[in-house]
Amino acid sequence: MEDKPKSPEEQKKPPRLNSAAALGPLNEIYYRDLATAKQQGKPVIWVTSMSPIELVYAFDGIPFFPENYSALCSSRKVSVDFVEAGESLGYSAGICSYALNTFGFIHLNKSAFGEMAPPPPPPDVLLATEGACMTHPKWWEALQRHYNCPLVIVDAAYIVDSNHLTDHQKNYMANELENAAYEIAEYTDKKFDLDKLKEVVALSDRCSELWDDIDEMRAAVPTPISQIDVFTLQFPLVTLKGTKQAVEFYEPLYAEVKQRVDNHVGFLENERFRLMWDLFPVFHNLKLLNYFAQYDATFVADLYGNAFSGRLDASDPFGSLSARYQSFFMRSASWGKSEIYKDRARRYKVDGMVFHANRCCRCFSAEQPELAHILKEDLGIPSMRFEADMVDPRAYDDAQVKAQIEAFMEMLEAIKYPK
Amino acid sequence: MVDDFYTIYTNRHRLAEGWKNQGKKIFGYYCSYTPEEIISAAGIIPVRIRGSSDNVELADTHLPTFCCGFVRTSLDQALKGKYHYLDGVVFPKSCDMTRVLPSIWRLNIQLPYMYYIPVPGKRTDEAVEFLIQELDLFKKSIEDFTGQKISEEALKAAIRIYNEHRSLVAQIYKLALNDNPPLSGVEMFGIIMSSLIMPKEQHTIMLKELLNTIPAKIHAADGKVRLMLAGNTFENIGVVQAIEESGGQIVIDDLDMGTRHYDTLVDETVEPIRALAERYLNRVPCPCKHPTNARMDHILKLAEDYRVKGVILLNQKYCDTHLYDRPWIEHTLKEHDIPILFVEHSDIGWAGGKFKTMVQAFMEMIG
Repeated sequence: MEDKPKSPEEQKKPPRLNSAAALGPLNEIYYRDLATAKQQGKPVIWVTSMSPIELVYAFDGIPFFPENYSALCSSRKVSVDFVEAGESLGYSAGICSYALNTFGFIHLNKSAFGEMAPPPPPPDVLLATEGACMTHPKWWEALQRHYNCPLVIVDAAYIVDSNHLTDHQKNYMANELENAAYEIAEYTDKKFDLDKLKEVVALSDRCSELWDDIDEMRAAVPTPISQIDVFTLQFPLVTLKGTKQAVEFYEPLYAEVKQRVDNHVGFLENERFRLMWDLFPVFHNLKLLNYFAQYDATFVADLYGNAFSGRLDASDPFGSLSARYQSFFMRSASWGKSEIYKDRARRYKVDGMVFHANRCCRCFSAEQPELAHILKEDLGIPSMRFEADMVDPRAYDDAQVKAQIEAFMEMLEAIKYPK
Repeated sequence: MVDDFYTIYTNRHRLAEGWKNQGKKIFGYYCSYTPEEIISAAGIIPVRIRGSSDNVELADTHLPTFCCGFVRTSLDQALKGKYHYLDGVVFPKSCDMTRVLPSIWRLNIQLPYMYYIPVPGKRTDEAVEFLIQELDLFKKSIEDFTGQKISEEALKAAIRIYNEHRSLVAQIYKLALNDNPPLSGVEMFGIIMSSLIMPKEQHTIMLKELLNTIPAKIHAADGKVRLMLAGNTFENIGVVQAIEESGGQIVIDDLDMGTRHYDTLVDETVEPIRALAERYLNRVPCPCKHPTNARMDHILKLAEDYRVKGVILLNQKYCDTHLYDRPWIEHTLKEHDIPILFVEHSDIGWAGGKFKTMVQAFMEMIG
């Protein structure tokens, strides 16, 4: 171990990606479009994070993600008021803080941007899938009761081994997705245009391809970009997948990251430890990720960014969307999931694993102890696991987490660079 | 006689060991969406996996502490070897935790047989067709395990046994339609809990005997306030005792181990697997199924039929699907002038004193 940590995360100045500058304007355009959707005659469709926004874009609609918006509220430090307002409505403190934050901003009729922007427009249609967690349909049912607007729920066959989907399991969700298209058409009074959907799906596929290619480049030594880059740069992947803007954003980004890799330019000058992150960002404290930089440690892989990408086949939009959601790795049981973790750990040359045990997301945090055990047993990769909440800073103890990090990094130092 | 039921429940593991020694195969299952009839038709005894009021000792190294008490204590019981007699375990898709548990069981409690049934989340015709295919696969996997075909006759016989049992349970519940119900909630709890862990043929015999002897029993509920206990699941009989010691009587429930488990018969005139798929999707839904309105209708109808003066909604802490429905249930019951007490509890570290105080305050309010 070096004598002293170099600098706290606040003082670390990571290299800037020039193409990331386009992110701000993209954000602004998206929120302006959302705010003016009604005037433009565009349906506003509230979607869960694992909803097929390709369907929304096929109807020339604007998808609104309460989850992303809650993350935004958290990073803008307004989530505590919203979460507390959500709790005041009778929702328990233990449930998903995205949902609590959403119930709260609706109840208070407030925006993430204070007086600078209006609150999100109410939904014309609510669209949820059973593609990720049970919270999604439950939360959307509650929103439906509040807004009294149409709700479309796309059911999926939950199986524990997503590598072995049968035809009837694939077809069930594909059929659900197709039904959803016709339901949205009915509710928005628009005609469903299959050719338009195919165009959107082709753009979505290209967006995912670019994202996956950028992500693959993180395996380079030194790794070219930071985890904060990944969490911020995925905005178009999540929100604009299926539009030209998303593709136009990632093409130059891909070229720039590739240039870094070709020139052996790393995010850290002296990369000594390569880490993998699971799963949710701590949105109220993203800079925690750079805290590791003082140990010359950086994140080279994560299990979150790719959750939003997935290759599609424009000639079979519903079938390939179904396959995308149902093969989503987080849906697998840990014996299948752990293969994905292990594969990543090997390919990205990972030294250590950091688990964010997201208190309000039992669904995706509950298997972390098992996964940690498997990574250690099979690959000898140690891990640390800290508790926080993705949105609610009240459940987070900064000093305790940093003490855990210090101990973990000391252990990694002793393993990787024994004296 | 009626006390026997709860005694049986508390001796459940010893009882199961006895069946095992007789050469029987036993499957554990999570959740009321498991089509027990198929297991039973294969000659295997299905027993419901339950939680415990014991301290958690082993589960915490496998599951975060922010998971519900039922999931943590049931896993803990399994890790401690309490379910050592099981030949297999079945998980139907219900809440998110039933997706997590198969991994942990498979890695840490290796059993010869394990199966996950992807029960659909919706209650549509397509969902029924989907479940038919899944139940066929489930049936086949059991056949592969035992090496013996499950005949249509065996399935039909199992359906008849389960239907008869459901009808008898319904008769027991109906006793509480009387102004003076002959059974207390504590007694009812014993009956229901034992029904989940016994072969249905045997439990049916006990229920018939009970129904024959009940008229001789002294009325239990004089002057007590009629209540419904709603929610998901709990292990501690102290919950019901505390309510009944505070001047209430549970006359009906909306619980995952109670009326929602036993509601709706399987249609014996339809092809068995189809009939099972229809029954398990058309029964009163748990909050994991969409839409959930039928459960609200169920609560309101029971409240009316059983003339309850109030509802105690008892939800496990961290049980997300139930907790999302809480404000809606509270709001709807208040609209119908039905007082409701919501209690978030845990099987772990059961705070009996605090609970009793809350119930007493509620009784004073409605009494």
